[in-house]
Amino acid sequence: MHPFTYTRVDDVAAASAAVTTDVVARAVQTPDDVAFIAGGTTQLDLMRDGVWSPGSLVDISRLPLTDVQVHDGVLVVGATVTMAALARHAAVRDVAVLRDSLLLAASPQLREMATIGGNVLQRTRCRYFRDPTVTQCNKREPGSGCAAIEGTARTHAVLGVDAGCIAVHASDLAVALVALDARVRLSGPGGTRTLPVAELHVRADQDPSRDNVLAAGELITHLEVPLPEARSGYLKVRDRASYEFALTSAAVVARVEDGVLEHIAIGLGGVGSVPWRATRAEAVLRGQRASLALFEEAATAELADAFTVPGTDFKPELARRTLVRQLRDVTEVTA
Amino acid sequence: MTTTPTAPASTTPVIGAGITRVDGPLKVTGAVSYADDLAPRDALVGVLVGATITSGTVTLVDASDALAAPGVVAVLSHHDAPSVVRPNEASADDRAPRPPFQDPVVRFRGDYVALVVAQTREEAEHAATLVHVSYDVDEPVVDINDPRAPRETDDPAGADSVRGDLARGLAEADVVIEADFVTGDNTNNPLGLFAACAEWDGEALHMWATTQWPSNVADCLAEAWGIPREDVRVECPYLGGGFGSGLRPWPYIHAAAMAARTVGRPVRVVLSRPQMFTGVGHRPETVQHVRLGARRDGTLTAVEHTATIPVAVDDDNPENVVSGTRQGYAVEHLRADVDQVRLHVSPPGSMRAPGEAQGNFALETALDELAVELGIDPVELRMRNEAVTNPDQGDLPWSSKALDECLRRGAELIGWDERDPAPRSMREGDQLVGYGMAAVSFFYFQQPCTVRVVVRRDGTAAVHCAAMDIGTGTYTIVTQVVADRLGLEVGDVEVVLGDSSLPPSPPAGGSGLATAISNATALAVAQVLDDLGLDPRAAPGRDALAGAVGGRDDVSAEATADQPDPDQLGMSPSGAFGAKFAKVRVDADLGLVRVERLVSVIDCGQVLNERTARSQVVGGTVGGIGHALLEHTVTDLHAGPQTGRITNAHLADYLMAVNADVPDLEVEFVGGPDRLNPVGVKGVGEVGLCGVAAAIGNAVFHATGRRVRRLPITPDLLL
Repeated sequence: MHPFTYTRVDDVAAASAAVTTDVVARAVQTPDDVAFIAGGTTQLDLMRDGVWSPGSLVDISRLPLTDVQVHDGVLVVGATVTMAALARHAAVRDVAVLRDSLLLAASPQLREMATIGGNVLQRTRCRYFRDPTVTQCNKREPGSGCAAIEGTARTHAVLGVDAGCIAVHASDLAVALVALDARVRLSGPGGTRTLPVAELHVRADQDPSRDNVLAAGELITHLEVPLPEARSGYLKVRDRASYEFALTSAAVVARVEDGVLEHIAIGLGGVGSVPWRATRAEAVLRGQRASLALFEEAATAELADAFTVPGTDFKPELARRTLVRQLRDVTEVTA
Repeated sequence: MTTTPTAPASTTPVIGAGITRVDGPLKVTGAVSYADDLAPRDALVGVLVGATITSGTVTLVDASDALAAPGVVAVLSHHDAPSVVRPNEASADDRAPRPPFQDPVVRFRGDYVALVVAQTREEAEHAATLVHVSYDVDEPVVDINDPRAPRETDDPAGADSVRGDLARGLAEADVVIEADFVTGDNTNNPLGLFAACAEWDGEALHMWATTQWPSNVADCLAEAWGIPREDVRVECPYLGGGFGSGLRPWPYIHAAAMAARTVGRPVRVVLSRPQMFTGVGHRPETVQHVRLGARRDGTLTAVEHTATIPVAVDDDNPENVVSGTRQGYAVEHLRADVDQVRLHVSPPGSMRAPGEAQGNFALETALDELAVELGIDPVELRMRNEAVTNPDQGDLPWSSKALDECLRRGAELIGWDERDPAPRSMREGDQLVGYGMAAVSFFYFQQPCTVRVVVRRDGTAAVHCAAMDIGTGTYTIVTQVVADRLGLEVGDVEVVLGDSSLPPSPPAGGSGLATAISNATALAVAQVLDDLGLDPRAAPGRDALAGAVGGRDDVSAEATADQPDPDQLGMSPSGAFGAKFAKVRVDADLGLVRVERLVSVIDCGQVLNERTARSQVVGGTVGGIGHALLEHTVTDLHAGPQTGRITNAHLADYLMAVNADVPDLEVEFVGGPDRLNPVGVKGVGEVGLCGVAAAIGNAVFHATGRRVRRLPITPDLLL
């Protein structure tokens, strides 16, 4: 690992002031950058692999952002709350999609370290991005190409991607959050603002070199999660039964009244360059009478324009089946 | 003194049920010293730099920036590293790995091109990124199916065999089954990163190194440097896992010796996890073809099993993919053949059950297909073709064999007869349920081992041997054998292992060490008792031993257990036998395979220690589940600058089974003491892994009706 300096800050304003570049949004960090570190479960990996080399780290793990509260039906979570702590919180226990997206992620040790803010901003697991000896990577070096396109791409994305980059966004939590219409509160030198999680990330087919829309010095201070008046669930499909990122996943929030889908919100994981809000599937389903045939139609519509390479050609079908299964299980529709 | 069959094994309480591991408390309290922990405190740290091309020549290693970095003491490369000899160079199939930095040739991606030596690990790691290497790049060949790869067909692995007349056997068959199989490359991935620390004292070399074979590392270092064997000492008292990756004197060990020589101070080299994928061997991928001929009643008339495996361009790896096929069943007409293709890949090596892990999958899957074709129960099919004598060794009778009992008991335990044998017939909700089984005939392997037993003035005893305990219980079983035969309490026996200055031993590998060392120990005990004037079979106890030692400090004896000669003994030495039965659930829509039950019934001769033997089978079975469903080292085969790069050289991306993938594993031992050796033991280190993949794959077929002839079996293959 390269040499770097390290400081710890105690308040949000000092944190924002310390980071003067758009390092959080960019896919790479250079020796000129000052970067945040909280749980470090992504940041340190990337530094050890030689992919990131910030000249200085600002430790934000001690910021006073560790509360979890419920105000007017909205769960407000401080950004440095750990995944484990949030999963244990009483208000989360009954929100299956949120709870399971946390508990099915990573390992117990990692969940005790990793923070909510960091989880949402975690970087892709693309094995080509994460090896600096790979020269073709539009994320690291815009215009250099994409080695994964021609390479081994089983874990890569099929939605929100094109031949320039097929990196997947690997967060489970963020997939649940887009299905819950969650928002992030941001704080930066220019003040504070609130964004839907669904607008936080940048699709690879738009700009692979940028992972999110945070401005220089901006950081997430809180998550706001409207607690759903609906049933929900998170299904994660992966080779290994634990401690693995999703091949595909589906977060479903649904309320069925008199057989009709009065509310439906869907997030898909393991398939998108961003946590994927399945708006096409939702449009097919919303206000319609729930049935297995309709679920098939909705899931097929969502994956219809998937971009695949030889390694990912199974993924649209697996994602389609994952979504159908989870729609069935959350709505308890049997025919 | 040499091995001869003698009395059956003891039945005292020390043998059999066994004792808890004698090294257990040290390990669970963190007090144990692994090789790297024994490095001198003032040792410098070396970090290896790997090639970022897959084939070519290094034209320049520019170390100027690295040498200017803080803490850096030296940078070694082919420009200036000491010259050493490649050990065993002349051996036809057992050359030691090539020491690094002897020429500018890059033979695979990750091949070492430089070593940075610095005061601290952090400084060395950083400086390693500042070494600038220039190359002339050649076009690599990395695909096992690439016709450009040099192919060696003339029995390179010592595996080929022809019996009878295959064509005739096929002509006699009512049914012929033919299928191709592919198994993926796997990486051993012991948790402990491999390390070596070297210290020179004049012309004498002291090495602390991760190895499963201290005697051999010492032999090879002596040859490499042209120094007397007694001037080399290699210590490795404990290992953080090996699974075969510690069997050879890998280049990083030489790198530590070269660096220590160059800087005149001790240097320790620790591999990184990605370097563990290219620097210490791996289970090679295979492409296999199996053809089975049988009569309607299930009698095999012909077996053909061929395999292609990769080896490195400048190394060898005897990987006998067809050993289980040659000896597994009574078939008159057989052809077994292994070809090697030379690729620009990191040198393959042994990984738990080398060859047999892959070969068993193909053979036992094909047998399942044959059983389905014939409408014969798969267990019954194996029993009908039982090799009562060893067809691969002149039909000599086995020294012990209880495969039949393994099969019967395994079927009973898993409830084989209660299943509906029709494929895709058992469903619970979304889950398709399936049962599958496989048989295992593991090869016999034993090499000479010498042990010294010391009886001290106070009647306690010590045992000395260069062998190392790979973590499976060697300290414990040697303690038991000595306590049993001397009549001592377990606490009165001290076992010293893992030091090449002690009597020479074979590797902790090939399922051969327990047999070799327990028998050598028994022989040495008999010898020392004889020397003491005591009855070698009386287990005299501490007081009698102290009395016999008399006024002397101690009395010691050495004995060697040699490889037995089958023809002289009139029997064929047996390895372990086993039967594996799996029950799986496969999600009908999502293709997810989860193992619900896995039953292992094993014949490993005399069980010295039920606890450690069971633990071996459990560990092997966990490895088998990974082999079947998860583990796959993926090399980039596509043309371009990434060709030959391993794409998942991290524990986050290389999937091994975790607890959630592993049900409670059921293990039983059957059979009795082997007739070949005085202790009656047969190695149990690898049989636990074998057959797991085929049993799971056959269960997946039973559950789904889909036959997967490829490992690992992943959800995308079942959609």
